[in-house]
Amino acid sequence: MERNPLRRQLQIMRKSLFDQGYLDEQFVQLEELQDDSNPNFVEEVVTLYYRDSARLILNLEQALERKPYNFNKLDAYMHQFKGSSSSIGAKKVKAESTLFREYCKSGNGEGCMRCFQQLKKEYATLRKKLEAYFQLARQAGPMETACRPK
Amino acid sequence: MAPAFPSGDDWTNFGIGGRPNYKRFSFRDIVLRNRLTALVVDGVNFCRMVEEGFLRACGVETQGVDNGDAAVELIASGAKFDLIVIDMYLPILDGLETTRRIRAMGTRCKMVGVSASFSERDGQAFLAAGVDALSEKPLSPEILVPILRELDGQYSSI
Repeated sequence: MERNPLRRQLQIMRKSLFDQGYLDEQFVQLEELQDDSNPNFVEEVVTLYYRDSARLILNLEQALERKPYNFNKLDAYMHQFKGSSSSIGAKKVKAESTLFREYCKSGNGEGCMRCFQQLKKEYATLRKKLEAYFQLARQAGPMETACRPK
Repeated sequence: MAPAFPSGDDWTNFGIGGRPNYKRFSFRDIVLRNRLTALVVDGVNFCRMVEEGFLRACGVETQGVDNGDAAVELIASGAKFDLIVIDMYLPILDGLETTRRIRAMGTRCKMVGVSASFSERDGQAFLAAGVDALSEKPLSPEILVPILRELDGQYSSI
């Protein structure tokens, strides 16, 4: 059990991200890639995810402004978003993107719009929580651990 | 100094969401005896970073390119790889056509096609184009490690 209060807080925050379903196993795999030679790997990957997500959300918003909906295009954008979200372990965002694609396949425009609004909320919440998490990680400072064996 | 995140051991001490602790399949589970090389072809920068990161963590010398055209040019220039990981959706030249062209050049290495999700039709098309296996993103140790062990074993038996 961690004695340092900041590190203890960090552990609790991290557990909560998994327990509440925001993150899945993939995030743990990313953490395993982080070591002394790559000390900020997870945060770098997540920052690039934010950039990619911003682009895709904008594309989706623009596509959803055009009627009738081009479901193939919407599906293609969301396919990319699903792949990105899976790659960092963004569990709830991934689930919403899967649901959105099902609405696209059935040509349900209202379903797509509702789902997209929910997806944006989940994404915003995840981003806020991860930003707080990384900020606390920086405050907690580096941890003495053995290097990951090569 | 290692970064500030709780360690994998800390994580297993907590477990996830009340599930009992279990041994995860990890990239630490593999120790290659031979030098293996890989090419990652993925147009999304951080996805490519993650895929390259996993391969390097397994001890594979890895390169990455962000489009199909660059992959074809690299192979055409004589670069040889033991494994190619290729996304179905690529800018400039898509994953299917890139795979066909790589195979048409006589490349016989293992190719794994990746995508956010595969419909049956997409999966069949990718296999018909020339990939040997399919993996939904993210590329996981459960999929990668057996392939790398097989490739490593092929060298050991020579």
